[in-house]
Amino acid sequence: MSATLLLARRNLTRHRLRLAVSVGGVALALTLTLALDAIYAGVARQLTTYVDRAGADVWVAQAGVRNLHMVASWLPDSVTDEIRAVDGVSGVTPILYSTDSIAAGDERAIAYVIGLPAESAMGGPWDIVEGSADVAPGEIIVDRGFARRAGVSIGDTVTVLGGDAQIVGLSRGTASLVNSVAFVSFDSFRQLRGGAPVISFVLATVEPGASPRAVAAEIERRVSGVSVQSRADMAEAERRLVMDMSADVIAIMSVVGFIVGLAVVALTVYVATLARRREYGALKALGTPDHVLYRVVLIQSGLTVAAGFVVGLAVTGLLAVLVPRAGLDLELAITSASLVKVGLFAAIIASLAAFLPIRQIAGLDPALIFRKGAAA
Amino acid sequence: MTTLTLDVRNATKRFGEGDAAVTAVRGVSLGVEPGEIVLIMGPSGSGKTTLLSMMGALLKPTAGSIHLDGTEISALPESRLPDIRLRQFGFVFQDFNLLSALTALENVAIVAELAGLDGAMAREKANSLLTELGLEARLDFLPEKLSGGEKQRVAIARALINDPTLILADEPTANLDSKIGHEIMRLLRRIAKEQGRSVVIVSHDQRIRDIADRVLWLEDGVFKDMVTMATDPVCGMAVERERTVSAKRDGETYWFCSRGCREEFNGTLAPDGQTADRQLTSLRRRATALLTRRPPRGQPSRYGD
Repeated sequence: MSATLLLARRNLTRHRLRLAVSVGGVALALTLTLALDAIYAGVARQLTTYVDRAGADVWVAQAGVRNLHMVASWLPDSVTDEIRAVDGVSGVTPILYSTDSIAAGDERAIAYVIGLPAESAMGGPWDIVEGSADVAPGEIIVDRGFARRAGVSIGDTVTVLGGDAQIVGLSRGTASLVNSVAFVSFDSFRQLRGGAPVISFVLATVEPGASPRAVAAEIERRVSGVSVQSRADMAEAERRLVMDMSADVIAIMSVVGFIVGLAVVALTVYVATLARRREYGALKALGTPDHVLYRVVLIQSGLTVAAGFVVGLAVTGLLAVLVPRAGLDLELAITSASLVKVGLFAAIIASLAAFLPIRQIAGLDPALIFRKGAAA
Repeated sequence: MTTLTLDVRNATKRFGEGDAAVTAVRGVSLGVEPGEIVLIMGPSGSGKTTLLSMMGALLKPTAGSIHLDGTEISALPESRLPDIRLRQFGFVFQDFNLLSALTALENVAIVAELAGLDGAMAREKANSLLTELGLEARLDFLPEKLSGGEKQRVAIARALINDPTLILADEPTANLDSKIGHEIMRLLRRIAKEQGRSVVIVSHDQRIRDIADRVLWLEDGVFKDMVTMATDPVCGMAVERERTVSAKRDGETYWFCSRGCREEFNGTLAPDGQTADRQLTSLRRRATALLTRRPPRGQPSRYGD
């Protein structure tokens, strides 16, 4: 172990309480940023779950509609056949869609309500944990998390779209922090909405080997009044919408985490350096070059932040495991992008935190070591 | 002709500018031979620390020059001085200034490592030095677990680890009791003589005069002629009889570094005669007899300040 690393490590571990407070402070600050990033990534992933898992390669919507969240899309029935006739399309499923609340007793929750045609090839639930995957008129499939919270099960009745529906199936992986996905029959949905011959989206699959983007472009060219996107583009549009809605919050909290982390490390490294000012002065007098002393401070700062980062990551990882088990419709996804971002944050914190102590050491006059009672 | 280890030529150090300028050292010259031990004494504010700092390449003289083994270190750029200090000087401080987070062994080894010695070799050398200084059982102790004498021995080992040309010691016995202080100084003398290292000590401590080859008196920034010295019975500081305050008691005269010490001396004599007598006897014992600096090797300093 090099002399600088040894000195830095010993300086840190000499005052364990101070080290614990410092590492804890950094961990807390970085956990804040990491956890927020993870929540954001988890929510974004959950919000696009339906788009990702519905089975469609291409999504066709009313012109101008490019995502699901908080939109209304209405297309005439007839577009389904027009889309089916486009080259490269291998299958189509029209669905009805609305954001509505499902009520069971006092429990009320927002849901993407999907109207599914009988025996539809796409758009239905992908993971049924109890009951049926098919919905007949007057029936509904709800997320099991909602059912648990509302205290309802198979055979019970809930209110949706202004009417009653009996639960025939419980799905998994269809809920997010914001909403869940519920499935009703196409006919019920249309009837409850006044019976107009309209649909919301057409889900399409493409021929094997065909490019979803190319087919989407072809549909948009051939069918008027529609916006068409590949599944990937639709999911991306959905994620972007969520990001736009929460970017400010994430940014503010990241800055808060950064400032808290910086303040904690800067203060503790500064105090630690101040407490050893005379020792640094002695080292300078003995002939230790300034850059070696700067390295000691940087290593101290770096080790503190690295330890805080590891603890913060461990805490966030633990949260990612425990939160879903606690029955919350919340998923924490720790992404590599978030790790890189927070890692960069940590590196910047370590460097900035070392700045003041380094200035302090730079200003130390080694000759003061001979002055009795002098600070050096 | 013997090459001087340290050669200070007409060194002056002035702090500040214009009317506020203070000259701490005025045209001092001093030559130290290999293996020679020089003790510099003088009252507070006489310029001892400034001179020591200049000799140790910690301060540059305003005028004059300082040569170490023939190299004019006072002319070297600032950037080269740390390396000179690290390899050619050994420093022993009054407050020991050991690194509190490192063990005795690490405190010594780190200085060798900083000078470029491999870590394992540095530890081996430090181990050997500390063992030689009687600290083999204290190698893994932190400074806080060491006595004052042990700390100063660690500091001496640290000063020796890079085989320096010159050892500079600043009040090395100030924080040690009389017996330990003397032991440490005898140890330093033995090492200096055995290894042929030059030592310059700055101290108020009269008790270490006998380990020095030469004792110099610095006052008002210049080396002065021999004066009659006494020890302040209150604080133990060496004082120049002719220039200080005194008090008489039972026919004996005592000299003090300041009026405060004299007042304290007078105040310690309790009205109870028996107690007062005991205290006086004790103080008499503490007060060193008149001290007359001996001109080493026939002259007070090489250049006859």
